[in-house]
Amino acid sequence: MSLPVSRTLRAADLEALAVGLCLLGSGGAGDPHPFSSVLRSQLGDGELVLHAPTELAGASVVPVGMVGATSVFTEKLPHGGEFGAAVAATGRWTGASPDAVMAIETAGLNGVTALVAALHLGLPYVDADLAGRGLPRLDQLTWVAAQLALTPCALAFPGGHTMVLDRASPTEVERTIRSALAGTGGWAALALAPGPAASLDETACVGTLGRALDLGRAHGSLRMMADAAEVAEVLGGEILGEGRVHDVLRHTSDGGLQSESSVTVLDRHGPVLRIETENEFLMVLVDGQPRATVPDLICLLDRRTNRPLAVDALRRGDEVFVLVLPAPAWWLASGHVERVSPAAFAIDCPPLLLEGRS
Amino acid sequence: MSADAPVPLVALLDHADWQQVKVLASSPAPTLMVGGVSLVADIRGRAADLEGHLLTVLQPPLRDDWHIDVLIQTAAAGGASALLIGDSSPLSQPSSLLAARVGLTVLGADDPLTAALAARRLVSEADLHASETVLRVTSMAARSGEGVEDVMKAVGSVLRRPLALVAAGGDTLLGADVVMEEDRETVARTLTAVAARSRVTERVELSGSALLIAHPVPPTTARDATMWLVARLPHDLPAESAALSAALSVAAAVIGQRASLRRLAVERDARARASLLGELLNAPDDLAPTTRRRALEAGWRLDGWHLGIRIDTGPDVDPVAQRPELISALHEEGLEAVVVEQGDGWSAWITSEDEPRGADVEARAGQIRRAQRRLSTTTATAVGVGRCHAGPRGVARTLGEAGEAARLAAGRVASGRFLHVDRLGLGQTLLAWTRTDTFQPAARSLLAPLEDQPGDLLHTLTTYLDEESSVSETAAILGIHRNTVSQRLTRIRSLLAVDLADPSERLALHLACRTIWIPPSDVS
Repeated sequence: MSLPVSRTLRAADLEALAVGLCLLGSGGAGDPHPFSSVLRSQLGDGELVLHAPTELAGASVVPVGMVGATSVFTEKLPHGGEFGAAVAATGRWTGASPDAVMAIETAGLNGVTALVAALHLGLPYVDADLAGRGLPRLDQLTWVAAQLALTPCALAFPGGHTMVLDRASPTEVERTIRSALAGTGGWAALALAPGPAASLDETACVGTLGRALDLGRAHGSLRMMADAAEVAEVLGGEILGEGRVHDVLRHTSDGGLQSESSVTVLDRHGPVLRIETENEFLMVLVDGQPRATVPDLICLLDRRTNRPLAVDALRRGDEVFVLVLPAPAWWLASGHVERVSPAAFAIDCPPLLLEGRS
Repeated sequence: MSADAPVPLVALLDHADWQQVKVLASSPAPTLMVGGVSLVADIRGRAADLEGHLLTVLQPPLRDDWHIDVLIQTAAAGGASALLIGDSSPLSQPSSLLAARVGLTVLGADDPLTAALAARRLVSEADLHASETVLRVTSMAARSGEGVEDVMKAVGSVLRRPLALVAAGGDTLLGADVVMEEDRETVARTLTAVAARSRVTERVELSGSALLIAHPVPPTTARDATMWLVARLPHDLPAESAALSAALSVAAAVIGQRASLRRLAVERDARARASLLGELLNAPDDLAPTTRRRALEAGWRLDGWHLGIRIDTGPDVDPVAQRPELISALHEEGLEAVVVEQGDGWSAWITSEDEPRGADVEARAGQIRRAQRRLSTTTATAVGVGRCHAGPRGVARTLGEAGEAARLAAGRVASGRFLHVDRLGLGQTLLAWTRTDTFQPAARSLLAPLEDQPGDLLHTLTTYLDEESSVSETAAILGIHRNTVSQRLTRIRSLLAVDLADPSERLALHLACRTIWIPPSDVS
């Protein structure tokens, strides 16, 4: 990982950013495109500084993001005040106002929501997040792994009401928020309790937005109809196969709450690829042998346009590259990889990662 | 055969113990062999020895579980012949695609343990399989019903293969169709009467991979026809064919014994019936009380009205053995008759409470004629039917008439060798006999001198004999002078060189006239 240096974001970078966030979403985490147009209008000709945590030592940073169904989010758009309401609620509860904003999850839709919140609140943005990639559950965040509390936290719903949750374990937070969402509008703005910027290097993934920008720019340099080796080289990953989606087998587990699917890709050179998914792509088997798993970023790209494809958008007949990118460094370095390994998704397979393989 | 003998997977799939096993992916090639069986508890299990083995997973997997893919890959990489999982529903798309890619046959069974154990027995424990099969066949056959059919059914339920009794030459006598038309020649060449005498099991390799295992049924008497007990296998599965060879020799012996027991009983009954009928025919007016009682016990009603039927067969037919066929032919036409073996054929009669009306008798005769036609597919017969007569004496009379009629019927090809006395009267029946192919040429040559003579000599002679040798009556009928009649008679006597006063010669001439020239009044 390169040294965190503060960077700036302009409206011209937003397309690359969206693609990069999709790649970090690993098939899930929602589509950043609709909300990035909100960001574009807010940015105008200006720029947003992506601060490294060290630059704001002493500041307290509030992680914000959107929770719930990303698909509902694009149908039931925010009025803009939700993030402010959530941050204000935690402020009222703790008696201290945050000095800066960071993202809960810099991947997919939530990569953009924190930026919009920072602009809206007029607070600096710290390029750090608690996931480093698309992750489906709040109890999988880095703070939980680092034994930090998620509470007090506040939810602001698009209907205007607000909910504050305190003294709950991460599992309780996850469960309570899910049930609250089921009873309301389907999504909500979430603000966690602010934390000190100084400790973010140990407790959060730093520079993820920068990584998204780098990935997006590299992706933008790819030609249409680029070949597999070129895609792997430019994006810094490995292509496990390329071919046609033969079948998308959708099934549900966990009493119908968790939707899973198995995507079968027939490689044009012969092998049969099977990709196990939940919200994200979790594991790739090539000819019956597991070859890649979470927390590495498994992405399916349209083979013609190289556009990343979401799990729920995959259709039979799509021509795809099956790409794997390295996992966020924090998970490997911190020794907490088991929290985002296949076992955390009820897949009894050890993590198979790019790092340490070569 | 105690060492492992690899068997073709296709043969296992056709085995009765593997009926529940389905091919879920990659149909096996005919050459794919199974040399052993490895068991694992669930799809995460790993077996040490896979090469050439049938890898069996006991716990039913979740259909969409990706572990199936891993297992398919491991099994293929380890050289397993096939994978058997505990779920016979279709594989998921990715799994079946993978199986096709790595070329591994995937099988499904709702009870994989039973299937695996059956496979293991057929592959590794052929001797055990054979002895178990023989034991089960022996006990089932011993407990089966009396008939040969019962034994066949019992043995078939153990072997679970098509089973039949086949005559030398390949005709199926009883049971399933085991000899297909295209295999007939091969079968006829192997299953000969000569081969049957050596009393050893024969194997007949058929077109395709099918196989017949045949064992001759030991004959009861020297003149019994050769019979083979035959089982058909779709594939030569060594353990199964060995077991079948042994089992069939046991079953054939039981069938032979049952056949001879049945024959003994049947012959005893036949003798009893024949002697009872003999007594009835000898003294119908003066039946001994014991005879009456025996008749009653035999189910014969001596009172009422009887309609006699005589069925003559050639000397080649065994009336004792064929009796059931006659009874069933009559039964299928709705006739319940008493049938007694007598000489070269049967005597039979139908009894009714009241004197049947003419139309009823006609209908009965029609039914009997149809029964004869049914029987004609196996046995050629000449059938005579008598008139209805009452009481014990009536049995004798109607059977007597039926016997006469049957003798006449034998010469009447045109009427299907069937004759009912009631229709014509006995006299007409006898006369009808003179019109047969044998008598007519004789009659023609006897009367030949009268042809081409002036004066209607044949007509005159016929009328004269019909009118009891009365010249004046003849003259009146023919409308000529009686002297003309006398003169014609003199010419007839001289032309034929006969003495019209001699009764025998007169009878012969009369019959001859009737044969050649039918007066208009007799044409009906």
